[in-house]
Amino acid sequence: MSTYAIDDREDKLRGGLFGAIALHVLLAAALVAVALLRHTTQHWGEHSSETGAIQASMVSAIPLPQKAPPVDNSVLASEDVSKAPTPPKEATQPPPRPMDVLIKAKTPDKAAIKPNTVTPPKHPQPTPDSRKATSGEAATQLPQSIEDVTHGTATLTVQNRTFGDRYAYYLEIVGRTVSQNWFTQEIDPRTPVGRSVTVTFDVDRDGMPTNVRIQTPSGVPSLDNSALHALQRIENGFGPLPAGNQITISDTFEYHR
Amino acid sequence: MMTSGFLRWRTGLTAVAFSFLAATSALAQSPFQIVTSSGAGSIRLAAANFKATGGDPAYQHTFDTVLFSDLESAGIFDLVAKSLIPTATPGSPSEMSLGQWSAAPASAQMVAFGNLGVQGGRLVVNGFLDDVRNTQYPQVFARQYSEEPSEDSARQIAHRFADEIILRLGGGTLGIAETKIFYVKLGGGNKEIWMMDYDGANQHAVTHLGTIALSPRISPDNSRIAFSALDKNGFQIKMWSMLLGRLVNFSSAGGANLSPAWAPNGQQIAFSSSRTGDPEIWVSDTSGNIAHRITSFVGPDVSPSWNPRTGAQIAWISGRTGLPQLYIMDADGSNVQRMTDGGYATSVSWSPNGQFLAFAWDRKYGPGAPGGQDIYVMEIATKRWIQLTHDIGRCDFPSWSPDGRHIVFSNSEDGHDSHDRIMSMLADGTQQHALTGTGADMPNWSWK
Repeated sequence: MSTYAIDDREDKLRGGLFGAIALHVLLAAALVAVALLRHTTQHWGEHSSETGAIQASMVSAIPLPQKAPPVDNSVLASEDVSKAPTPPKEATQPPPRPMDVLIKAKTPDKAAIKPNTVTPPKHPQPTPDSRKATSGEAATQLPQSIEDVTHGTATLTVQNRTFGDRYAYYLEIVGRTVSQNWFTQEIDPRTPVGRSVTVTFDVDRDGMPTNVRIQTPSGVPSLDNSALHALQRIENGFGPLPAGNQITISDTFEYHR
Repeated sequence: MMTSGFLRWRTGLTAVAFSFLAATSALAQSPFQIVTSSGAGSIRLAAANFKATGGDPAYQHTFDTVLFSDLESAGIFDLVAKSLIPTATPGSPSEMSLGQWSAAPASAQMVAFGNLGVQGGRLVVNGFLDDVRNTQYPQVFARQYSEEPSEDSARQIAHRFADEIILRLGGGTLGIAETKIFYVKLGGGNKEIWMMDYDGANQHAVTHLGTIALSPRISPDNSRIAFSALDKNGFQIKMWSMLLGRLVNFSSAGGANLSPAWAPNGQQIAFSSSRTGDPEIWVSDTSGNIAHRITSFVGPDVSPSWNPRTGAQIAWISGRTGLPQLYIMDADGSNVQRMTDGGYATSVSWSPNGQFLAFAWDRKYGPGAPGGQDIYVMEIATKRWIQLTHDIGRCDFPSWSPDGRHIVFSNSEDGHDSHDRIMSMLADGTQQHALTGTGADMPNWSWK
């Protein structure tokens, strides 16, 4: 009874043991399989020979999208007048064939109007006769004279370009005389660097500046006033005009330290 | 262990490198600032020797010398020295090669050149001014002058050409090369009125009165000279007509009448008169009539000078507080302002633009006081002054040039009156040079 009982118990124990062993073997096999599988996947940036380092290779240039060719029909500060571009033909849609449009007798509604509307151009079209550049006013003229003074630069442009070429010396004298009379001490020292005011004035036959006005204020009253004072201080003028009765000159006063 | 040590050393090195970089970038952020000038520079001008076209080279030499000295004394050019200019003498624009002049050592921006010669009994001068940097249109102006051939006309043409250059390039500055200076010449116990060119040339007598004439003042239109001279009634204001070459009427009055001054309109004369006992400033018309007194203080009031710009103010010297001081007032005698705070001030001249007073001042007057009598310029609005002459002896009688850039004055190195001579300088005190020898005093620069 007892042996049976023992045998019976041993049988039960053996079965449990084999079960446990099988479970462990299975687990071990699963672990090995997982480890093997994980090992085969490559990590990001991983290299076969030197693990742990990122490889970067030098290139001579970064391939960028190609630049658009320069626009030829814009007159940007160039001496010779390029031909005005031919105005582009208006992209009108072909008129609908009569049979395509449903014509309702009573309500000529939106659907009928829609194909006729021309979409407005995305950007302003170049005007055929203008010599002005379409982008930026300042680039249309090169300065005739640039004078550096303490805490400021006075840049002078003349609207009559041919006068500026022919009598460059005169404009230089104008620029020099104006900047000699520009007292930068008058400017509020808290003025941000780079602020500039553009003053426009006429020079009459005798060389006197007249009709002095601020074209572009700087936003700093003391800087604006110092530029006006510079022109008001000129008592004897710039000397007689070499030609003509009047020229108009713009002078830009830029504040810096 | 070794690796970690190496690593630590390398980080140390990097830190050093970084701090070095930071230092250099800090340097780059605050660069050295070089301020070249507060204003703009002056034009570099070359005066070429003129080409003599088959004439007398003597005129050519005079012309070149006068032109050069005129341009130099104008004080507005950076004039290329004669030794640096190219040897070629271009006589006309076709012979001009701009590259020669723009290159070092001349490095000129402008060139004055031309030719002169005697053609058909006339001295003909062709003068040109070229802008060297404008190769397309170099010519600034061209002038032709024609005069009787003489040394003096060569001088006058050079003056006129120089004035033209100064007018064109000086930014509205009027040339003074044709102006005159009137002064007192001491000779044989008498003092006569003389005149000369602004550069001291061409000195000659104006009056021959055989008496003591003082303080000549030329009228604004250069037609008359007012001065004070000793006659049987004492010192009286006299009026000399340059057109007639003789004295014209000016009413005499009692007492000493001294130091006349022209109003800028030429219609009135201010002078000092002691006809009521005390020297006061009086104003009359140009023949001495309708005289009225505009100062009334005890103490001498002398040496008036009108504001040439407005004609509404008079500066003068007054001794109402003891030692003579500089004052200004309105032309009717109101609004008196004292300008100097001490010392001994004499002989004032009002600048043509009305902003400055030039005067002679002994700032520390008294026995054993340092310094001497020198020329000062005061800005009227701020009463700030600068001293123009230093240690050249006693200076007196300043007078402004019509362009307001020069001052003529009398100077005596040893302080003796008889050793006075006339000197000229730029209004900042530079370029001092004597115009006459000794025995000349009380200069007055003409108005134009």
